[in-house]
Amino acid sequence: MKTIIEEKNGVVVVSVQGELDTDTSAQFQRDIEPLMERKDTKVEMDLSKLEYMSSKALRILVAFQQAVMRNGGSFSITKVTDTVQEVFDMTGLSASFFRD
Amino acid sequence: MKKRISDSPRLLIILLLALYGLLTTGVTLWVLHVSLEQSYNLNYEDLEDDLKTIAPYLELRMDQGDKDCFAYLELVSSVQHEEREYSYVVRDKEGEVIAPSFAAGRTLKMKKVKQLDKTGTCWLADVWGDRCFIIIHPFPTRPLELIGVYDYDYIFSDREETAKDFIMVLVLLFLLLLAVSWFWIIPVVERVLERKRLAENELNEARDLQQKAVTTVFPKNSFFDSHAVLRPAREVGGDIYRFGMQDGKFQYVIGDVSDKGTTAALLMFTISSFIHSRTRGEVPVCELMKELNYLICDNSEYEMLCTLFLGHIDPETLKMEYCNAGHTRTMVNGDFLDQDSQLLAGLDRDYPYHTQTVQLHHGDRLLLYTDGVTEARGADRSFFGEKRLQEWMNGLDPAISSEEACQSLLDTLAAFRGNALQNDDIAIIYIKIV
Repeated sequence: MKTIIEEKNGVVVVSVQGELDTDTSAQFQRDIEPLMERKDTKVEMDLSKLEYMSSKALRILVAFQQAVMRNGGSFSITKVTDTVQEVFDMTGLSASFFRD
Repeated sequence: MKKRISDSPRLLIILLLALYGLLTTGVTLWVLHVSLEQSYNLNYEDLEDDLKTIAPYLELRMDQGDKDCFAYLELVSSVQHEEREYSYVVRDKEGEVIAPSFAAGRTLKMKKVKQLDKTGTCWLADVWGDRCFIIIHPFPTRPLELIGVYDYDYIFSDREETAKDFIMVLVLLFLLLLAVSWFWIIPVVERVLERKRLAENELNEARDLQQKAVTTVFPKNSFFDSHAVLRPAREVGGDIYRFGMQDGKFQYVIGDVSDKGTTAALLMFTISSFIHSRTRGEVPVCELMKELNYLICDNSEYEMLCTLFLGHIDPETLKMEYCNAGHTRTMVNGDFLDQDSQLLAGLDRDYPYHTQTVQLHHGDRLLLYTDGVTEARGADRSFFGEKRLQEWMNGLDPAISSEEACQSLLDTLAAFRGNALQNDDIAIIYIKIV
């Protein structure tokens, strides 16, 4: 699992690659922690190289989304693999993640 | 509780150091042995071939004074290849026996230790209690001639000094290690072990809680044959199920809390208690789900999410009402149930969950499970997946009992995993409609 955080034209693009399972989600949480404190941040998640996401890792993603929104920012997922899309669909999160 | 050696670090350290002591002593002795042989080869020199020189080594006491004579060893018997028996014979220069009585009753038993090309054969021998090297070589006309005797202790002595120094260093090192372990390493290890023990206790209590939260008595009546299993992974997981006949209906819930540990176990217990106390046949399952969702959101300080699947089956009409909150897809006879995508519980307090219905038939078999089943990983890290689950269900003999079906799935998963560890909790409910 690898998290790449880049800032382009005022948008923070968070790309997650590899697999987000029980073991790697703790690392993911540490990687995104600084972003959860920032005010008025526009976050775009690029999950086009995320091969797997356990339902446990969803909690972290949801908490991340909530923190960003609470701080006046916006959160959206721009790209996603079919496997992860299935997880979002099953858990009913697609509507909240792909609001735009 | 069973006492393990790892519970007593002091004993463990002493044992390890003792092992270290034995190993180093063994190595030292081996090195000494090798160096002794080398030393022998380096130090070898011919002794003067007269009785005066040889006598002290052999403790010969002769009356001949300065008379020129030789000491010979003559073969008495050859017992076996490695060990021979000799007796002393002292002859003069002409070969006449001077002291035959010397040999009487005084034989040597010698053990061959090394063959030296240059000088003949070297033997390590006991000469009346003292060990010495004796060099002999076959002589064409005489059986065996003694040509040199070396004091074993003499050769050994300087090596012995080195060995003593070395062993002293080992002893000091041993004491140093013991002191360091005793006063520094052991307290640290003990603290770590204590923490581990506490964590294990907590884990056991949480596991206990999890096992208490799930159904253990499975309804078997004229309508249903049901069974369930829960296989927690290395940590306490958040899988939960509860089912049974209530108010004339078969009611069930299966869920997965998105965390592990005691907090997750507590939440599961809360959900389980709620279901147990609140399930009433007449309440639509979506209303029940809304209440549960509210309950989980209310405990939002835990920041837990939970996938849940709730269902009622009427034994008379075989109509099943169900509500799925983000949970895995239920299977009926090898086909997945049509499940609308509804949000998992614990996220949106006012989420409008709705009920779906399906008409079941006699002989139908339902499989409910958590993602530990479909996301079980094989040795090549591939997932078990829904397709394999479907294949398993299709290949299953419909006549077997629900308990056998659960076991069959566990066996199939274990075979798929191979040597890989179980990475997540596994919960399975299998319901046969009679």
